[in-house]
Amino acid sequence: MPSLRTRFERWLSRARGVPVTYDLKPYERQLAKINAREAALTTQSDEQLHALAASLRQRARDGEALDRLTEEGFALVRETARRALKMRPYDVQMIAGLALHDGQVIEMETGEGKTLAAVAPAWLNALTGDGVHVLTFNDYLARRDAQWMGPVYEILGLHVGFVQEGMRLRERQAAYRADIVYGTAKEIGFDYLRDQLAASVDELRQRPFHFAIVDEADSLLIDEARIPLVLAGSTAERPPEPARLAATVAELRPAIDYETDEHARNVFMTDIGLERLEQRLGIASLHDEANRDLLTTINLALHARVLLHRDIDYIVRDDRVELVDEFTGRVAENRRWPDGLQAALEAKENVGRQEDGRILGSITLQHFIRLYPKLAGMTGTAVPAAEELAQFYELGVVIVPPNKPCIRRDEGDLVFATQAAKEKALVEAIRRIHAADQPVLVGTRTVSESERLAEALHLANIECRVLNAKNDELEAQIIAQAGHAGAVTISTNMAGRGTDIRLGADDFERRRIVQLGGLYVIGTNRHESRRIDDQLRGRCGRQGDPGVSQFFVSLEDELIIKYGLRELLPKTEGASAIDNPRTMREIARAQRIIEGENLSIRKTLTKYTAIVEEQRRMIRDKRDAVLHDEFDLVTATHDAEFYRELVERVGERGVRLAERAVTLHHLVHAWSDHLATVADIREGIHLYSIGQTNIYGVPKDPLNEYQIRVSEAFGAMVRKLEEDIVQTMRAATITPEGLDAQREKLTGPSSTWTYLVNDMPYGHGFERFFKGMKQRILNSPMFR
Amino acid sequence: MVGAFSNIFKIPELKRRVLMTFGLLAVYRIGCVVPTPGINGAALADYFKGLQGTIFGMVSMFSGGALENGSIFALGIMPYISASIILQLLTVVIPYLERLSKEGEVGRRKITQYTRYGTVVLSLFQGFMIAYGLERGMMGPGVVTHPGMAFKLMTMITLTAGTAFIMWLGEQISEYGIGNGISLIIFAGIIARMPAAIVQLFMDVWEAERRVLEIVPIIVLMVVVVGLIIYVERAQRKIPIQHAKRVVGRKIYGGASTYLPLRINTAGVIPPIFASSILMFPTTIAQFFEHPWLQAIGDQLAPGRLLYNLIYVALIIFFCYFYTAVTFNPVDVADNLKRSGAYIPGRRPGKPTADYIDRILTRITFGGAIYVAAICVLPTILISKFNVPFYFGGTSLLIVVGVALDTIQQLESHMLTRHYEGFLGSKGKFKGRR
Repeated sequence: MPSLRTRFERWLSRARGVPVTYDLKPYERQLAKINAREAALTTQSDEQLHALAASLRQRARDGEALDRLTEEGFALVRETARRALKMRPYDVQMIAGLALHDGQVIEMETGEGKTLAAVAPAWLNALTGDGVHVLTFNDYLARRDAQWMGPVYEILGLHVGFVQEGMRLRERQAAYRADIVYGTAKEIGFDYLRDQLAASVDELRQRPFHFAIVDEADSLLIDEARIPLVLAGSTAERPPEPARLAATVAELRPAIDYETDEHARNVFMTDIGLERLEQRLGIASLHDEANRDLLTTINLALHARVLLHRDIDYIVRDDRVELVDEFTGRVAENRRWPDGLQAALEAKENVGRQEDGRILGSITLQHFIRLYPKLAGMTGTAVPAAEELAQFYELGVVIVPPNKPCIRRDEGDLVFATQAAKEKALVEAIRRIHAADQPVLVGTRTVSESERLAEALHLANIECRVLNAKNDELEAQIIAQAGHAGAVTISTNMAGRGTDIRLGADDFERRRIVQLGGLYVIGTNRHESRRIDDQLRGRCGRQGDPGVSQFFVSLEDELIIKYGLRELLPKTEGASAIDNPRTMREIARAQRIIEGENLSIRKTLTKYTAIVEEQRRMIRDKRDAVLHDEFDLVTATHDAEFYRELVERVGERGVRLAERAVTLHHLVHAWSDHLATVADIREGIHLYSIGQTNIYGVPKDPLNEYQIRVSEAFGAMVRKLEEDIVQTMRAATITPEGLDAQREKLTGPSSTWTYLVNDMPYGHGFERFFKGMKQRILNSPMFR
Repeated sequence: MVGAFSNIFKIPELKRRVLMTFGLLAVYRIGCVVPTPGINGAALADYFKGLQGTIFGMVSMFSGGALENGSIFALGIMPYISASIILQLLTVVIPYLERLSKEGEVGRRKITQYTRYGTVVLSLFQGFMIAYGLERGMMGPGVVTHPGMAFKLMTMITLTAGTAFIMWLGEQISEYGIGNGISLIIFAGIIARMPAAIVQLFMDVWEAERRVLEIVPIIVLMVVVVGLIIYVERAQRKIPIQHAKRVVGRKIYGGASTYLPLRINTAGVIPPIFASSILMFPTTIAQFFEHPWLQAIGDQLAPGRLLYNLIYVALIIFFCYFYTAVTFNPVDVADNLKRSGAYIPGRRPGKPTADYIDRILTRITFGGAIYVAAICVLPTILISKFNVPFYFGGTSLLIVVGVALDTIQQLESHMLTRHYEGFLGSKGKFKGRR
C-alpha cells in the first residue's frame, strides 16, 4: 500500500475531481534517498549485489512491507542495469518506476525508456514470490523485453519468462513459474481461460494473479477493453438436415426472395421468399411453433449462403471448411464456426462433416485486467483517459516529465472535400518532404488504406515501406529505420509499436535530419479520439528531437460519414485544402461526440457484463476449490443414503476422487450452456425495453430486467448442475481410485481454440442494441 | 420480502446508497419547512387550514406540503418537470434540438442543460405569479408582510433557488443513492403528508366527529385501490417470442424463454397530467379577467364539478391512446423483431406481426385508460361524497406506488446474486482468489 501521505494527497486531488498528479515531490524525495545509496553500490562486486538482492528477497518473504525495501531495491536495480545493460536509468525513469510501484499509470513520452523504467517495480514486487506480469503490446515485444531485461533480473536473483502464441503447455507452465513474466494481455488472458478446462492441478498453467504492469495502458484498458477473449471447443450438436435445405435455399433469388440490411450483417426472407419456400417444402407456415428447428436450419443456410463468402470469411481446403480470422486475415487453425454455422457452410460447399463449435468460456479484457489485485500502467497518452482509468480501474495518472523537453511542432489539419483530393495532396506532400530527404512516417487507419497509398507512391516513383502488423519482429526492424534520411514508412496504428524511432543511421546523418526538422509524421485521418491521434503524433519528437505532425482529413472519411456528420459540415468542392475555420471546429466537435459515445457504450457495456462476470468468478472459484480438493460433496447433501452406501463400497477417498472428476466435467458444460442462455437473453432484452415504461411513461432501462433474468437463469443452472452431478455419480462405476474418465465419457471437447471477438456472425449484440435504443431511453433527460 | 430487506444491510455498497438516499431526502424535507422571507407563515397556515377538505390539485402535490408552509421549496420540482416536458416536445419540433438529441452523450448533456435553464426561467415566472397572487390576497389577507417590488424580487429569487436546489438534490440521489432522484423527491413529498392525514382521520373518530363505521369502508377502499394499482402496474401481457437463428446448447432453463412484455398502462401518469393541465386553463384565465361569462365557465370547470369530471375522463382516455400511439409503433416493433431473427410463433414476420401487436395493444390500452381514469376521478368522489379529509387517489397515488415499485425493483437487482451460497459457497481460501 502506498504511504499514508501519498494516499491522502491522492485523495485530495481526486476529491478535487482531478485524478492526475502533477506533483512529483514525494517521488523526488524518495529518489534523493535512492541516489544517496548509489555511490556505495558502485564499489560492490557483482556477487555482493547478488547477495544484497537475496537478503532483500528474504526480508520480503518474511513479511516486511515492500515500501520499506523500495529505496534499497531501486538503487540496486539501477546499479545492476548500469552494469548489465550499460544503461543507467535516468532520474525520470526512476521516478516513473516509483509511480508504477505505487499502482499508478504513468504518462511518459515515447522513447523515454518505459521498458527500463518498469524493471525496478517489477523486480521489487516479485520479491515476495507471487509473480509479476508485464503486459506488452505484442508477442514480439514480450520476447524482446524479457530477453533484453533478463540479465538484470538474473543477477538480482529472480527468474524471468515470457509467453508467446503457439507455445505448448509445458513451456507455458515453466514461464508462469518464473518470478517475472512478459506476455500480451491477450495470451495471458487466453491462458487464464484455458486453465478453466484443467482437470487436475498439474494441468494448470498459471499461478494466482498478483501484480501487472500494463504497457500502452490506454490502448488496452480503454480502446480494447470491451473486446472479449473467447475460449471455444468442439461440440457434437448440429442443426437438423442441413444438406437438403442448403439446396433449396440456393434457389432463392436475391432482392426478391430475401434482403440484407445496410451493413450486410443480417439477412431476412421477404414475404415472397417465404411463400415460395413454404410451397417448396410443402409446409403451411414456417413460423409455426412446430417448425422452429426447420426455420433455424433455413436461417442458418441463408446466412451461410448470403453473408459468408468463400475465400473472404472462410476457405475450403482438403475437403474441410476453415475459418478466416477477421483480425489477422489468416486462416484460424482449428477453429469452427459456432451456432450451427459450421454445418450450414459444410452443406453449402458440400464437404465433409466436422464438429461444430461452442463457447466454453469468455472474459472481456477489462474484466481480465481487473483480476489483478494490484495494477500499474504506462503510456504516452494517459491524461485524456485519466477519468475513465480512475473510474473503471481505480488507477491514478502520474505525469513523468521527459528527460529533455519536447519540441515537436504540431501543424494544423488539412481538410479536403473528397478522398481523392486528399490522397492526391498526400502524395504531393510526401513527395515534397521526401525530396529534401526528410524522413516521413504515415499512419493509416486500415490495412487497405496503407496498401492503396503505397500503390500511389509507387506510381509516383517514391519508394516506401509498409507495415501492417503481420510480422511484428520484422516490422520492428523496419520501423527502427523510419527515421533515416529519405525513409518513407507507411504503417497502421497497430504496427511497429514499442520501438524507438531514432533519427539518422549515424551521428552525421542525424545532424542533417535534425536540420531538416526531424521526422515528419502524417496522419491520413483523424481517429475516434484525440488520444489516439496523440499516439500517432508521439511517434516523433523523442528525447528532445525536432519533429512535425500533421493530419490530413477529408469530408468523405469514415469518421465523418459513419456518424452522419456530413450534413453538419459546410458543403464545398475543389481539390485544394478547405480553409474554413468552421469546418475545423465541426470536425473537432465530431471527434468529441464520438469519444463521448464510445465512453457511454463502454460504461453501459460494463454494467451489463458485470453480472455475468460475477457469476463467472463464482463458478471459477468453485472450480479452483474442487481442483484443490476443498469442497463439500454434493452427493452427500443430496442423496444421503446413496452416499453412505457408496462410501461403504469404495471408501471416502474414492467418492471424493470420483465426484471431483464428475464436478469438473459438468462445470464446463453447465457454464457453457449458461453462456448460451445469456446470449439468448441478451438478444431478447431489447424487446423488453419496447414494452416497458415506468410510471412517467418513459421506457425503462432494460438493465434491471436483464440482471433479473440472467440471475434466474444462473440459479436454475446451478440447481441442474447439482442434479447432474448426483445423477452421474449414480450411474458411474466407482472404485476406490475414483472413476475412469474415459469410460464414463467425462472427457472434455476434442479440440479447443481461442479467439478475440470483433464482429462475430451475429455481431456484438449489445452495441447494435444500444445504438438503436439509445434515443428512446436516454432522450428523456429527466428520467432514466 | 422481509428477509430480503435485511439483506440490504449485508451489502456495504447497497447500505451506503440507501442511507445516502434517506439522508438526502431528509435534507429535502427539512428544506420544506424553511420559510420564505417576507411571508407571514401563520396567516398562510390559517388560510390552508380553512381550505382543508377541498382539492388542491397538482401544484400542491408536487410541492409536497411546501406550499402550505410558504417554504423556499414552495414551487417544488414542478418547474423542472414542466421544462422537461416542454423540451421533449420541442425536440420533435425544432430541428436544432432534434439534431442535438441524436448526437450522443454530448448532445444529451446540452439538452439537459437547456432543461435546467428552462427550469430557472419557469421558476422565476411562477415565483412572480405567486408573489403577485399572494399580495393580492389570493391565499388570505395579511400573508405578505411588506408587499412591493422588493418582495416580488426576493420571492422570485428565493423560490428559484429553492427549486434549483431540489434539482441538485435529485441528481445527487440518482448518482449516489438508489433509484431516480427526482421521482423519489416527489414521492417523499406526497407521502410526507399522509401520516398527518391519517392521523387526522383517526382524530376525527376520537373526537366523535365521525363514526367508526364510516372509517372502515374508507380504509378498506384505500387498501383495495392501492392493491389494484400494484396489481395493474406489475401486470404484463406476455407475447411469446421465439428465436430461430442458431443452434447452441438448446437446453432451455426455466426463466429464459423469451417474450415481449406489454404493460397495461404504458403512458403512466402523463395522460392525467396533460388532462388537468388543459382543464386548468379556463379556470386560470377566469381568475384574471373578471368577466361574468368567463366566471360561469370557470365555475363549471372547477375540479369536482360534473362537467369537469366528464371532460377529465375523456381527456385521459384520449391521451392514453395518443401517448401509446406515439411512443409504441407496432410496425417498428415488428421490424425490430424481424431484424433480430425473432418472431411470434404462428405469425409471419412483418405486417401480420405488426397487425397482431396492434390489436393486442389497442385492447390493452383501453383497459389501461379506464383504470387510470377511474383512479384519477376517485379522489373527487371520495371528497365530495364521503367527506374524506384528504386527497387520496389520482396522479399522486399512481406516482407513489409506481415509484415505490420501481425503487424496490432496483433494490432487488442489487441483491441478486446472493442466493447461491449453498453450492458455490466455497471455503474461505478460494473466494475471489483471482
